[in-house]
Amino acid sequence: MLNPTPGLPAFDYVKPASLPEASHFLAAHGDTARPFMGGTDTFVRMRDGFWGEKHLVDVKHFEGMNAIAFDSDSGLTMGAAVNMNRVIASPEINAHYPLLAEAARTVASYQLRSRATIVGNICNGSPAGDTTGACLVLHGVLHVHGVNGPRTESLDHFFLGPGKTVLQPGDIVTAISFPRPPQGWAGRYLKLGRNALGDLAIVGVTALGYPDSTATSGCRFRLALASVAPIPYRPVAAETILAENKIDENTIVAAAEAAMNGVKPISDARGSARYRQMMVRNLTRQAVTDVWQQIGG
Amino acid sequence: MAVHNITFTLNGEAEAAVVPSHMTLLQMLREEIVMTGTKNGCAAGECGACTVLLNGEPVNSCLVLAVECDGQTLVTVEGLAHDRQLDPLQQALIEIGGVQCGFCTPGVLISARALLDRNPHPTKADVQAALVGNLCRCTGYVRIIDGVLAAAERA
Amino acid sequence: METMEIKPDLIGQSVGRLDSHEKVTGAALFTDDLQFGRKLLHARIKRSPHPHALIKSIDVSRALDLPGVKAIVTGDDFPEHIGLYLKDKHIFARERVRFVGEPVAGVAAVTEEVAEQAVELIDVEYEPLEPVFDPEFGASPEAPLIHPDLEKYEVPNFIFPQAGTNIANHFKIRKGDTGRAWERCTTIVERKFHIPHIQHVPIEPHVAIAQVDQTGKATLWASSQSPFAQRNLIAKTLGISQSDMRVIAPLVGGGFGCKAGVTMEAMPVAIATKVPGYPVKLRLTREEEFYTNFVRQGLVINIKVGCDADGKLLAMENTMFWDGGASTEYGVNITRAGGYSSTGPYDIPNVKTDSLCVYTNHPIGGAYRGFGMSELHTAVDQCMDELAEAIGMDKVAFHKLNCVRGGDTLVTGMTLHPVGLEECIDKVAKAIDWGEKPPAGAPNKRRGKGIALAWKAPAMPPNAGSSARLELNEDGTATLGVGGQEIGQGTFTAVAQIAAATLGVPYESIRIAGPLDTQYSPYEWQTVASRLTWSMGNAVRAAASDARRQILETVAEAWDEDVNDLDIVDGVVISYRSEQEQPLKEMVIYGLPNEDFTEWTGGPIVGRGMFMPTYVTGLDPETGQGERAVVHYTVGAQAFDIEIDMETGKIEVLKGAAAFDVGQAINPELVKAQIEGGFVQGLSSAVFEEIQLKEGVMQNPSFVDYRIATAADIPHEIESIIVEVPQDDGPWGARGVGEHPMIPAVAALANAIYDAVGVRMDGPPFSAEKVYLAMLDAGIVN
Repeated sequence: MLNPTPGLPAFDYVKPASLPEASHFLAAHGDTARPFMGGTDTFVRMRDGFWGEKHLVDVKHFEGMNAIAFDSDSGLTMGAAVNMNRVIASPEINAHYPLLAEAARTVASYQLRSRATIVGNICNGSPAGDTTGACLVLHGVLHVHGVNGPRTESLDHFFLGPGKTVLQPGDIVTAISFPRPPQGWAGRYLKLGRNALGDLAIVGVTALGYPDSTATSGCRFRLALASVAPIPYRPVAAETILAENKIDENTIVAAAEAAMNGVKPISDARGSARYRQMMVRNLTRQAVTDVWQQIGG
Repeated sequence: MAVHNITFTLNGEAEAAVVPSHMTLLQMLREEIVMTGTKNGCAAGECGACTVLLNGEPVNSCLVLAVECDGQTLVTVEGLAHDRQLDPLQQALIEIGGVQCGFCTPGVLISARALLDRNPHPTKADVQAALVGNLCRCTGYVRIIDGVLAAAERA
Repeated sequence: METMEIKPDLIGQSVGRLDSHEKVTGAALFTDDLQFGRKLLHARIKRSPHPHALIKSIDVSRALDLPGVKAIVTGDDFPEHIGLYLKDKHIFARERVRFVGEPVAGVAAVTEEVAEQAVELIDVEYEPLEPVFDPEFGASPEAPLIHPDLEKYEVPNFIFPQAGTNIANHFKIRKGDTGRAWERCTTIVERKFHIPHIQHVPIEPHVAIAQVDQTGKATLWASSQSPFAQRNLIAKTLGISQSDMRVIAPLVGGGFGCKAGVTMEAMPVAIATKVPGYPVKLRLTREEEFYTNFVRQGLVINIKVGCDADGKLLAMENTMFWDGGASTEYGVNITRAGGYSSTGPYDIPNVKTDSLCVYTNHPIGGAYRGFGMSELHTAVDQCMDELAEAIGMDKVAFHKLNCVRGGDTLVTGMTLHPVGLEECIDKVAKAIDWGEKPPAGAPNKRRGKGIALAWKAPAMPPNAGSSARLELNEDGTATLGVGGQEIGQGTFTAVAQIAAATLGVPYESIRIAGPLDTQYSPYEWQTVASRLTWSMGNAVRAAASDARRQILETVAEAWDEDVNDLDIVDGVVISYRSEQEQPLKEMVIYGLPNEDFTEWTGGPIVGRGMFMPTYVTGLDPETGQGERAVVHYTVGAQAFDIEIDMETGKIEVLKGAAAFDVGQAINPELVKAQIEGGFVQGLSSAVFEEIQLKEGVMQNPSFVDYRIATAADIPHEIESIIVEVPQDDGPWGARGVGEHPMIPAVAALANAIYDAVGVRMDGPPFSAEKVYLAMLDAGIVN
């Protein structure tokens, strides 16, 4: 049973002067060191005893980690340490990537979002992250600084399991960037928690749609599901149905059912597998319908 | 384990402390500085009783390391009133009855102060959303929300 | 008892709380805020991982070797039992553990971290025993015994343990003849409900600090609703004289019953006896608060109710299996209350009730706001709703036809005092436009309305007492000593109003002597049972009357007048005969001189008062009948107007209304604040809350997994309604209302859900999931 200690277990706080220094420190200390930004997950898991690192490496102060930059050609680059409230308040994000702000608004509480980061949530490999779906359907790319220098990682193959990602010791995600979304797109994040606000998702459905003349239906949808699989999940079968069939109520229902049938969620304190499956269907139907209406359906 | 010498501004005054790496901001306030207005209700970032302003933004002080506050600016509930003048939020909670046991009150006031600082004319829904991270078991939130709205109206 | 008299202006006035200013500035001191210096030791507790097991051995040697460890105690150190009603518990387990989380050993060390490490180094060998998790099975002869020594435990004469079973109390009602009455019923509803355990969730977790000096005198600082009960029980168990045991109780950050009686507070005292001179602090983590502390008991209830063709209730049979947990020291009286109130506020001539408090290997059940009544009403008021529907009668009309009225003979044979329940029903029905059903706000939503009633008597020993002391100060202000605790409900404010109104001084002239301290504060049984405004209020009124009498006698003697011609108005003694005036200032300490200052009359004024109900009678153990089972009942009604989202099962409360007959509201805004807070706590329990137990292990001991209502979950509107039909033995007619607003919530919401979508569930919480799956199983959604 969960039985955390009253305070945090002892560890060393490390604040390297440079990104390479941080990366080398982390690589040298393997499992006993971990980078952190807002700490909203890290400290809770340390206290719970799930994580027992001896060194926590503060990486949120490096150059660019707190920047939000939008370019009308290349899109959005957001530093990894940008907290969720800044995402919600950012004029650039609200103008060009409102789906990110919409998803961020559903996360926990204001004071938690002052510290929580979208990138931190991705790095922790949570299948329940509210903003991860938006990052997936917006084709987010992670900028990683590792022992061998900088590289990028697509989110498509980033998640390996609950809490597991492709990141290696020494890797520090410095930013996430998003290309310009497709012309005429719209997005929606529907979250079902136990409370009206503030809870983790029982189920979260992200939908992004845009006109595309190469699709039979005249449009394409990208969908992502939270809290119903070991990793953030793209229901490809549902996306295919929406691309290949004339979009109407029946097609949307068929896509929603495909999404439902494609997941095998677990039962936990938040909800049962059975309910989660039904909610994948109902929320997918609702989210796709909303998006379809916005993109001119 | 390492200790760190830090300096910061607390409720407008310069402060210094020697803190171990794993000491939280909440522990530093309550146990090192012995300023106990900020409360410990869960130590997991869920109840909001420990909410303080860090550089003007509300945070759960149980999920911030003391060492991270080096060079930063902090405001706690003790810093809301000035020269015997209560903050309008404090005054409104008193008048409207948004205080019962009082244990959530410091965190509620900090969250509400931050809300009015960023949005001086919030709707009821704005207030509810801003206070989602401040659990209260006594009031049913009714008079807390009314109090915040009243304070906004008066400002 | 005071006779009714003209009500002073201050009674019924919504003056501001006495304690708000210190609470909004962060100055208010709670127990965890007290400072004890660098010699403070920190305690942590070794707890049982087994629901039921024999302790074969405990080896503390490795832990004792850890630098910084000052003391380790186990059950061997403290052989005596402890318990409020039934003495069935040890401070630390002896021989056997009975729930997951039960204290087995306690460590005091120089830091919390060292204490925690030491706990890990204590080796305990267990022999697991067959556990009991189902109270219905637990009550059967096949169940393994959890307390084989039940018959040896000390118990008051109104609790009936059944030797050789797991039944710690069996309360019976046998009234009329239900067997024959069923034949006359045209409609009968028979149901079974399961009500889960829930947790109190004060935002302030339990915390206590104890220090024992070299002579054995003990001081306990605790977040406590019951400093006097704690002094009494802990002193007895540890063999300390009550005059050598002192309990200091600062402001409490939420109680709801969980800080009543003795829960964790005995542990630091016990540990402190081994390290004389050192203060020892124990603070529960939030997770420990969830899984180790007293819970609201679970309940399995089988209920059968019938009425005739006109809707008149004729009979009820009720069998309640309370999941008492590992100890029922407090719980036995909850089940008693559930028994003697088992009809709810309905007039039913034939009743058969069996209320059984059953030991299980679950967490210990204790007092929880509403004390048995929320659970009971969840079943009773859903059955009433079903009966009304079955006979085709309007539900409000059905409630009014059957609800209790003054003069009724209640289920125990007691005659009911005047109450305004019909008025409560009418007012909540009007508040939600009962009978009108506007469409839901969206095509995928359904709208529903529901109503339920509530009653509750203060559940306590027949002779639970209160006392008060009013000491006048040189400037004419007064310091009021009471033993009842401010846990957020506003009791300090209400009794200050009572004192000021009685004495004849402005409200602003009264200060409460705090924090509560058993060495200085007057005795109070416990801050529970919605009893303070009434019981402590009576004591305060008596103390203020006593002070007033002393003042008037002093002035009458000095002026050579009759006391009956004198009055105290706004802090000034006035004579209606001579029109002389004498401010209280100065004279309440120094008395009054004669004309040439050669003689003095009077002296420091200290008023004392007490109140204890003397008229509650015992009940027959076989029939539950007696002249006066309880002091009184507070009654009320609650209603919901809701919408259900057919896509998710989520409930949105458009409006809630609640009306309670408080006799006389001393401070109407504080009463309304109680109604609002209780409404939301009840709603929270109805839709979110459940301790998920699996093989005795709590699955959700954190705020992440045990959700309570947030600011975004409350009704769009709550209408709080005060009804006032005075109580003959309350101050100016007041009776308590602290717990009641929570009681009808679950049933009222269940009835609204039924009205909206036509499904009923076998128990709360009515989470979106449970509602949706119930609709799915009923074919309402696909």
